[in-house]
Amino acid sequence: MKFHVWFGALLLMTLAGAAACRKNAESAKADPLLSAYDTEADWNDAQHVVPLSFQQAQGKRIFYQQCVWCHADSTPAGPSNRSNLTPVPPLLNDRATLNAESDEYMQNIVALGGTAMGKSAMMPPYGRMLSAEEIRSVVAFTRAIAQPPYQPPARAESQYSAK
Amino acid sequence: MGKLTNRTRLVLAVSSVMFLAVLAISPFKDFRREWKQYKHSYLRFAQTRPDTKKLVADYRPDIDQIWLPGMNVVDRCTTCHYGITQASLADQSVPQPFRAHPPIPHNVRDWGCTICHRGQGPATEVAEAHKSTLAWEQPILPTRFIQASCGTCHYADLPQTPQLTRGRALLAGLNCQGCHRLPGVERPAMLAPDLTNVGTKVSREWIYKWLKEPRTIVDKDGNVTVNGYEAEDEPRMPKFRLTETELRGLSAYLSVQKAKAFVSYKLDARVVAAWTKNPELASQGELRFRQMFCSTCHSLAVTRAGETKLIGGDIGPELTKVGSKVNPDWLITWLRDPQGYLPHTRMPRYGWSDEDLFKVTRYIATKLTDPDLLTGVPQLGQPREDEIQLGRRLFLEKGCASCHVIEGLNPQKDFGPDLSAIGGKNTSELEFGASKIPHNLVSYIQAKLQDPASVNPAARMPQYNWNQPDLDAITTALLSMKGAPPTSALQNLVVPRKEVDFHPTGAFEEVYERYKCYSCHKFNGYGGDLAPDLTYEGSRAQRQWIVDFLKNPQTLRPTVVLRMPQFNMSGRDAATLADYMTMVLQHPAANPTAVDAKQFTLAMVALGKQLYEVKYQCQSCHTIGGTGGYVGPNLSNAGDWLTPAWIEAWLRNPQALVPDTIEPRRNFTADEVRALTAYLTTLRQSIKPQKTASTTAKHAATQGAGR
Ligand code: HEC
Repeated sequence: MKFHVWFGALLLMTLAGAAACRKNAESAKADPLLSAYDTEADWNDAQHVVPLSFQQAQGKRIFYQQCVWCHADSTPAGPSNRSNLTPVPPLLNDRATLNAESDEYMQNIVALGGTAMGKSAMMPPYGRMLSAEEIRSVVAFTRAIAQPPYQPPARAESQYSAK
Repeated sequence: MGKLTNRTRLVLAVSSVMFLAVLAISPFKDFRREWKQYKHSYLRFAQTRPDTKKLVADYRPDIDQIWLPGMNVVDRCTTCHYGITQASLADQSVPQPFRAHPPIPHNVRDWGCTICHRGQGPATEVAEAHKSTLAWEQPILPTRFIQASCGTCHYADLPQTPQLTRGRALLAGLNCQGCHRLPGVERPAMLAPDLTNVGTKVSREWIYKWLKEPRTIVDKDGNVTVNGYEAEDEPRMPKFRLTETELRGLSAYLSVQKAKAFVSYKLDARVVAAWTKNPELASQGELRFRQMFCSTCHSLAVTRAGETKLIGGDIGPELTKVGSKVNPDWLITWLRDPQGYLPHTRMPRYGWSDEDLFKVTRYIATKLTDPDLLTGVPQLGQPREDEIQLGRRLFLEKGCASCHVIEGLNPQKDFGPDLSAIGGKNTSELEFGASKIPHNLVSYIQAKLQDPASVNPAARMPQYNWNQPDLDAITTALLSMKGAPPTSALQNLVVPRKEVDFHPTGAFEEVYERYKCYSCHKFNGYGGDLAPDLTYEGSRAQRQWIVDFLKNPQTLRPTVVLRMPQFNMSGRDAATLADYMTMVLQHPAANPTAVDAKQFTLAMVALGKQLYEVKYQCQSCHTIGGTGGYVGPNLSNAGDWLTPAWIEAWLRNPQALVPDTIEPRRNFTADEVRALTAYLTTLRQSIKPQKTASTTAKHAATQGAGR
């Protein structure tokens, strides 16, 4: 009887010791804004700041150089060209319109222009000016600023979490 | 040998078991090693993915490391961050540490991790790798400063790193290089106004007030005001913590700086008397002030619909209250010849008529005033000798002399610490004093920037206030300064800053210097970015158009504030500039003989018009006549403005002429290019000049052909 107690106690101690060795790697959730490469204020709600990855941040830069003139209502230079266009282009955070389109369609309309996709010629083609990676990044930025965010149609949602 | 008692047996049995158990701890501990857990975890994770095979193809159960001997890199991070190069693990739903690295221009396997992220590459425990500064000196760099790492090799500015670029611009713009050594930030010929003659310009009371509260202030929340008006300028003059005695001393010393006898520009008294009778004098002066587009560089407070806003550029100082600041005699002399007072000023020397000069001076001295400017300033009286002596000593001790020149006064060299290696400093090298801030480099830099006295009560550094993005940007720029790369392999990676310079000579140089064209325009990479880049202006614009524009740079868009000033240029000056541009400022890809405008036929013009309006709908961005967009320049006068060779080359490949133009490159056929060129060369506008060369704002400057 006594032996069992001894032995049990010993085993517990060893296990406890071993378990204590395994330091608890902190798994505190990092603030997504602090670990973002860049940020963009939500166009509809300036208080809400959207974190951007490197790729989305590149898209943001290209958007503000190339697309902002027609796809936003105010531009770095002041007024927007959007109202001069027929059809009036969708705002780039217009999730009602753009979340319905696949990434592939979005990349195509940017690369090939409106005419090639059966849309208005007022949407110019960027395929000879922007690289495929740059076009992907603009689309990624579009997805980031559409609020609530775009959900790809069939993403293998993984419930798995490390450890 | 006696028989063992049961008791002894038991003791022996227990100790053997104990011994075995203790022996087992070590393999067990080894098995339970943190990184091994992650490895197992990765295998289990891979099983849940559709592409398991690919994910575990190269899997090995031991430590994985990236070893790059030339760059001092031994990074074991990929032991746990195993999926870092697996494209299929890019999604945010993939748990860390297995997520793929987001796409960046460098391949992780070729560079390792610590070059950009810092931290301890050889460590195999989570805490040691990321956080510890006990045995190791550098914790992981928080992601929001990651652009600092780009800057350790890329001394040249990158489009991908806006935060770093902003930080570097702040370092230069706030004159940090006045006191600190900063790599890549050159000292310009004039950091801050030369004060050798400041006593001829302003009163002692004004100096007192300025020192107490500089015009441009950033409050605790980072909001900037100039003279009390909201603005976006950066204050170049920081706020020093000065006592009443110090203020009196410095203002006394500065107000007696009148080294050069001041020769005021005298107008004929009889003529002046006649002008003075004109009741409209000041308002006519205001009109000239507007017509000359002083507001392209200087802002003024304007009240519209009950709201007061500063309108105008920020190349020169804000002028709303300048009439109460400067001595009117000084003003007229300054306007006529700014370089006579400040040899390095960027203020252009206008071609004034005496009458205009008088009117504009009157306007400034009587209308741009504020009777309350000096309220609250005590009557200081004549400076006493002891005050002057104190002021002189303070001027040197406080570091004023690091930015401001006073002839005959020798400032202390390297007034503040050398910052060329600040970004690579180890925690043990930093003085935290009695402060309670966390002991790491980032916290140190930010504490120092926000309140210099927090880490060192005796700090001489003046007080700056920042908004969070600017604080982070300047921290990023400082973190990027890690000194000379430690190994030659790293040295070879450095992408140097491009030396940009433009050294014109002869008659052009004289006119170019007089009007300070480079304050707003770029020439071969050198100059400002307020207005169009003129490096290839000679290829782009027709000579006659340039001459007309320079003589009368009016535009058709009166609402725009920032515009080419009216310099009152003589025909000779305009011809000198236009001749030089057409001869020298040429682009090799726009060959003037390649296009013969005489061969254009009416059919080509008609086809071009059709392509413009229907097939390509260029009107979405360009205006002709009254219709179209304004992303690109107005083309109503393209036939008189642009050279056919430029139009043709531009249509073929705009980026070949102006690499960062936003005009998208199209797939035009050769016939289409010709037809469009033919059409555009027919566009003329009878009213001259037209609006093409105006800019809507700073950012529009980089847009394209005519902006
Ligand atoms: C000259 C103005 C202009 C510019 C610049 C421009 N677009 Fe467009 N864009 C349009 C117009 C007009 C449409 C609408 C076409 C239609 O509905 O027929 C459009 C449509 C689109 C669509 C498709 C929307 C839909 O409902 O199918 C996308 C995506 C898009 N633009 C992205 C971009 C991106 C990205 C850029 C920058 C690289 C850009 N655009 C630059 C004018 C412009």
